Amino acid sequence: MTYEGWLLDLYADGPRGVALWLVTDDDRRVRLCQRFPVRFFAAGPGPRLRALWRWLRGREPAPGLAREERRDLFVAERLPVLAVETADPAGLQPLFAEVEREFPDLTYYDADVPLTVRHAAAFGSFPLARCRAEADEQGNVRAFEVLDSPWALDPALPPLRILEINLPEGDPQRTPPTRLELRFRAWKQSYPWVAGSAPAAWLRAALQKLDPDIVLTDYGDTWLLPELLRRGQAPLSRDPAYPLRTVEEHTYFSYGQIVYRGQQVHLYGRVHIDRQNAMLWRDYGLEGILENARVTALPIQTAARISPGTGISCMQMQTALRDGVLVPWHKQQVEQPRSMLSLIQSDFGGLVYQPRIGLHFEVGAIDFVSLYPAVMVRCNISPETQARPLSQPPAPNPGLIPRTLAPLLHKRVALKTWAAKLPAWDPRRKSIRARTAAQKWLLVVCFGYLGYKNARFGRIEAHEAVTAGGREALLRAKEAAEDLGFAVLHLYVDGLWVQQAGCRTAEDFEPLLAEVTRRTGLPIALDGVYRWVAFLPSRGNRRVPVGNRYFGVFTDGSLKVRGLDARRRDTPPWVTAVQMGLLECLAQAVSPEDLKPAAAEALGRLRRELARLREGKVPLEDLLCAQKLSRPLEKYTHPSPAARAAGQLQAAGKRTAAGQRVRFLYVRGEERVWAWDLPQTFDRRCLDVGMYRKLALRAAADVFQPFGIEPEELYALMHNAARVPLFPLPV
Amino acid sequence: MGRTLPSITQSLNEEQAAFGRFRRALRRSDQTALDELFTAARQHLAAAAYAANLLPMETFLLAMLLEEHKEVARLRVQVEALQSRLLDDV
Repeated sequence: MTYEGWLLDLYADGPRGVALWLVTDDDRRVRLCQRFPVRFFAAGPGPRLRALWRWLRGREPAPGLAREERRDLFVAERLPVLAVETADPAGLQPLFAEVEREFPDLTYYDADVPLTVRHAAAFGSFPLARCRAEADEQGNVRAFEVLDSPWALDPALPPLRILEINLPEGDPQRTPPTRLELRFRAWKQSYPWVAGSAPAAWLRAALQKLDPDIVLTDYGDTWLLPELLRRGQAPLSRDPAYPLRTVEEHTYFSYGQIVYRGQQVHLYGRVHIDRQNAMLWRDYGLEGILENARVTALPIQTAARISPGTGISCMQMQTALRDGVLVPWHKQQVEQPRSMLSLIQSDFGGLVYQPRIGLHFEVGAIDFVSLYPAVMVRCNISPETQARPLSQPPAPNPGLIPRTLAPLLHKRVALKTWAAKLPAWDPRRKSIRARTAAQKWLLVVCFGYLGYKNARFGRIEAHEAVTAGGREALLRAKEAAEDLGFAVLHLYVDGLWVQQAGCRTAEDFEPLLAEVTRRTGLPIALDGVYRWVAFLPSRGNRRVPVGNRYFGVFTDGSLKVRGLDARRRDTPPWVTAVQMGLLECLAQAVSPEDLKPAAAEALGRLRRELARLREGKVPLEDLLCAQKLSRPLEKYTHPSPAARAAGQLQAAGKRTAAGQRVRFLYVRGEERVWAWDLPQTFDRRCLDVGMYRKLALRAAADVFQPFGIEPEELYALMHNAARVPLFPLPV
Repeated sequence: MGRTLPSITQSLNEEQAAFGRFRRALRRSDQTALDELFTAARQHLAAAAYAANLLPMETFLLAMLLEEHKEVARLRVQVEALQSRLLDDV
């Protein structure tokens, strides 16, 4: 029998191989089974490999054994290895664990490659791939063929059935839920969250009737699904042979921050995504997760929960498997000793210039598209290759990393170009944005992974070659701009701000884009043309510019703000709103002449906001600061406001761990802060209005300074204005 | 996420700090002038980083000189303009 449709799920199915779930063209869900033996390799001295051979031959069932020669990316000659093959894909891990315990001195390869990645390397499969399978009566696959590619820009996706299980009251561990809501397409039903088995029964009925492909929950990983199953049976997995799989909670350290990941609940033949436990759900949602799964070939449920680092690592493994390159189990390469001079010359990052402080009109902002990945592809930067300078043509035989990245990079550039051509109302724009956001994280992380000490295909010299290529590209762009008569106002790692009298539309900057692309071979795009942009000085010294503190208005009226209080997550929402409000007033100015009336309007707005604060009309929630605890409470010698608030919570019996945010209000009195989550009710009279006024004025000062209103002047203006309503001046 | 080498901003801060005793012994008015020189060097941090000089202070001194020269050139143009205006008036 021939089945045609989309691949929904793939997992190990005992000695029979792998189970494949297809969503067929006639909307059926079919479970097939495919023989899929998997292998790992061992390398080392001959006598030890022979000992391993003898040890393995005596086992029941005996794995397939063969002597082969394979390529290790970091070794020049081909390596003699012992290949160990098991018919049961799930049996590989336990067997390998035993082998590793018994023969810890050998070097192992391909031992921990995820099953879907192996399948992808063998058949080109990926989640939601169009595929055709021939199978016998028992569902055993005879032939399997993938009909599309993960690099297709607008693939036809299956009509997925999505069941949402919501807890409308939010986190059940903070507020005990009272209702359970099920939602499927236009159908919605709310149930009371009662004790006993009833909620599980309602879910069971819904699952049986609707047979969803994706179960979308809030807190499903950490609380809801385990709790429902505790109450009663429900066929959460589609495959009756496999109920479900849980992954323990864990905490790890990433990019200088502590990250906590809750427990996970994975289903078989059906996909469970917990919106609260999914990676970057707020950034790219379900569309981004599906895109992530398609390009990394990881199961949808895994792709939803892993970091982009794991994703890109799996893509590299796939390239390696396809090329017959061994995937090291543990990285063995260490950094080579090198001279101080070589460190001084190469161990630094992107170029960050000091912008020309002040207000500038009609400025073009141009950015390289995914600069570092583009450099990796263009300069052929990979641990096993010699990087090529930008001045030379691209390498004829790209290395492992460029080959992994190139299709992803080209797809992202193509999608962005396509989205830019679509009209603003087109619904596909939103979907493309989510997908390119998912791709962006994979590409960003790929650069970091080259320098990460545990990355399998990483090498610090390759990492440095990328930043060197980035610097070269930026300088070439600067030279191109200056040659074409532009003044370069600012350069920041992958972007530049340029200005030339008479250049005010996108077309005016096209010759520059073409010239930069000609000189670098890298894609570059116009981020936008600013009506005006203001680069701000440091708060400490008004003559010293800062690289990433600016705001401006594009010709379409939209604002871009960087490095201001409004962008910080610990700024009280009211202060953010005040600052953004002022910017919106100023954004109305189309020409330099309009700026004066716009600034006057902004001043009026600031006065009104300060009056609202004084009169107690700003809701307390809008005055909350939310600062992160940077270390455990007892490690503070001079407690920050957040630490003092956490101390109050601790005294009230509520623990706050390092890395968590603490919400508090500024109050008068010795403590200066009031932890928001304290059980007592807050007395508004304690509020430190002066502190909030100071914060708002400081935020406002940043906005007004480029327009010639110095902070002292602003404070004086607002101070006098504050008295106006009390003692109206005679006109 | 550690760095092997100090960043260029750190280097400049260290160099500036190293002149702490020198600065202390200067008159108040000269202290301000010295601070301005270091502020001038700060305008070219990116170029100094790119130069990757073993002795970064050399680059910083050149950056100070560069800003000074720009100022001299600007003043020269102004003086010439004023001169020509004076001559015209005469």
